Amino acid sequence: MTSAQPVPGPEPIVGPSRPAPPPTTLRRRARSAIARSAAADRWLAVLVGLLLLVGGVLVALLSFRVFGAARAGRPLLDPMIVDAVRAAPLVSRWVAVGAGLLLVLFGLTWAARSVRPEPRPDVVVDGGRPETTIVVSAHAAADAVAAQAGALPGVSRARARLVGSRSAPALRLTLWLTEDADIGSLLDRIDDTVLACARQSMELPALPVAVRLELDAPATPPRVA
Amino acid sequence: MRVVLRLLAPLLGLALAAAGLLLAIEVVAAWVRPDGGGGLLVPWPWWRATLQDLTWSDQPIPAIAIGVAVVGLLLLLLGLFARRADIALRAPTPEMSVTTSPRVLARLVGRRVRGADDVASAAVTASRRRIRVTAQGWSDPDPQLRPMIESRVFELLDELPLQHRPRVTVHVPVRREER
Repeated sequence: MTSAQPVPGPEPIVGPSRPAPPPTTLRRRARSAIARSAAADRWLAVLVGLLLLVGGVLVALLSFRVFGAARAGRPLLDPMIVDAVRAAPLVSRWVAVGAGLLLVLFGLTWAARSVRPEPRPDVVVDGGRPETTIVVSAHAAADAVAAQAGALPGVSRARARLVGSRSAPALRLTLWLTEDADIGSLLDRIDDTVLACARQSMELPALPVAVRLELDAPATPPRVA
Repeated sequence: MRVVLRLLAPLLGLALAAAGLLLAIEVVAAWVRPDGGGGLLVPWPWWRATLQDLTWSDQPIPAIAIGVAVVGLLLLLLGLFARRADIALRAPTPEMSVTTSPRVLARLVGRRVRGADDVASAAVTASRRRIRVTAQGWSDPDPQLRPMIESRVFELLDELPLQHRPRVTVHVPVRREER
């Protein structure tokens, strides 16, 4: 579960001596651990969509002579623009090449960010001696938490995953509940036992957790009239 | 919605990158060999001639503009509505957030409603703001069925630590007479 190994260089060691972040920060981190954020993709889709919508509507209005027949009768590649480009060819070329490279950079960054797997941070624990550092792997920590949560009454199975960064880890815990589960008391027990144990063993002052509740498959088929 | 966004986002990024690459390559190619004739990868001299001949009011332009606007509107709606439909529950501590899905809430409500002896069948839909129960009893008409179902759903909502209590609508359709 844990492995002792020397870690070269300065590592962001998270220890119990570090004070816990304020409740608002913890609440924000717990909320963002619910699922992988799609906010960047959503905002970019909104931005590109808005640009296309506004551009398309303006061109359609121009085509239907809303801005006057003279404007609608001008060629798409306006001679005025061609003349301006021909007047400063060097600047135009650099601007075009720069815009192209910016688009390449932006597009590749966006694509890479969208397909990149979600990071699973390992937790670094103080080994007690200066030359020893204990790294608790994200898988091991998550499996231990899931096993403990799965043994609670009212939980038929549990799945856990460490998310966030190494300096600010958080836990995503999915619980499949049985029919007789008391959700309120179960959440209290998760906090009192499972999370308290996880915080202690990983020497974390605080471990924000996003709990996802699911229902276990029914043992008998539902009644049908 | 979120699945479509997940699939579309990298494709949009790659499309932008490809467009930028083509632009940079064509400009540099035209710069280093001005007498090269046609474009290196795309026939942009032919495109330029076409764009110089076409006016804004010529026929394909309005249709293309409307198509672009529709695609933009779809992207805009996709970005705005690709939110998670989670139902938030009260957590015992600030460092815990608890959510569940509308499907789970609907199953909980459905199980509670079907547990009543007077209910023959029930269908439930749930969202963050609203729970809608459509139920039928064994005998028609049963004036007590609707308040009984409502009380069972309210009882369940009292037990669940929901952050926002959804509105409950119970619909009891009149059963058709069997011949």
